[in-house]
Amino acid sequence: MSQLASLKVLIADDHFLIRQFVRNTLKESKIENVETAGDGNEAIDLVQKAKSTDQPFDIVFLDWNMPTVSGLDVLTFFRAKPEYSDTAFVMLTAESEQQNLMKAIKAGATSYIVKPVSPAELSKKLYEINEWIKRKRQSSNGFFS
Amino acid sequence: MSVMQKQISLDETLAKDIVNAVVSSMSHTFNVDVKPGNTEYGEGMVSLGGDISGIIGLVQDQLDGTLILCMPFETLREILPHVLGKTVEITHEMATDAVGELTNMIFGQVKRELNLRSHQIKLGVPCVVSGKGHFVCQFYRGRNMIVPFHLDGKMFQVYVGLNDSVAEGPRR
Repeated sequence: MSQLASLKVLIADDHFLIRQFVRNTLKESKIENVETAGDGNEAIDLVQKAKSTDQPFDIVFLDWNMPTVSGLDVLTFFRAKPEYSDTAFVMLTAESEQQNLMKAIKAGATSYIVKPVSPAELSKKLYEINEWIKRKRQSSNGFFS
Repeated sequence: MSVMQKQISLDETLAKDIVNAVVSSMSHTFNVDVKPGNTEYGEGMVSLGGDISGIIGLVQDQLDGTLILCMPFETLREILPHVLGKTVEITHEMATDAVGELTNMIFGQVKRELNLRSHQIKLGVPCVVSGKGHFVCQFYRGRNMIVPFHLDGKMFQVYVGLNDSVAEGPRR
């Protein structure tokens, strides 16, 4: 079984095309536990609900431009809450300006994907993100616990 | 201190940026291989015919213009099942949403390439227009270029129109 298969993922993007594209790529990496949100508010609700039922998302893909609440605002909202520190937030955007990249990093994005992205590139990112999650959880649990 | 801004030229370099952006967007997203045709350069009003068009404004200090992705519904019906599945019936709404996202991806990539060459362009908010067999044309009689693309015998077009009267005075 793929080491990624146990990951729980949320894709928040107002474009169904991107939601489906990311979902297909995740499926190729054997990640089946995937939910989707069409705007920022829905993303916040789903992430909070999953946490409250003790089944948190491991990775949240956030489109930069979404209705109601932008991806950057969703990221900022959760990064202000320590209980989400080991959740990977990955920004999805067609913009590649350095200032946006810096904004995302400053706000605490785990990674940043510029569309269009190939399935191969996305899969590679998934492995990097999974390594980040493992490191985060290892450091928060302590090495010997 | 302001950095010198380079004027955009409607030339082979820009056509290459467009081709790369369209080919990679289509290949990465839909796993389809689109072929570019010969770029056409012109002046004055040109109408593009299609069913769904993604339109986005382009601005520089000395120049402004329009970028258009104009697609027939048939082409979208051909490529969307590659992502959505063969059994899904492609609706007009799905096609409109897809053209919006393709417009973002393609022209976002073109902007990136232009700005790497110090053109310092900004893009407006994209807008999608739909209607069977509609015509789109730029209002100003500036210079333009059209890059056609083919996919299994179906065609779509990318248009770049520049209005450089800001820099040179009205041409009309």
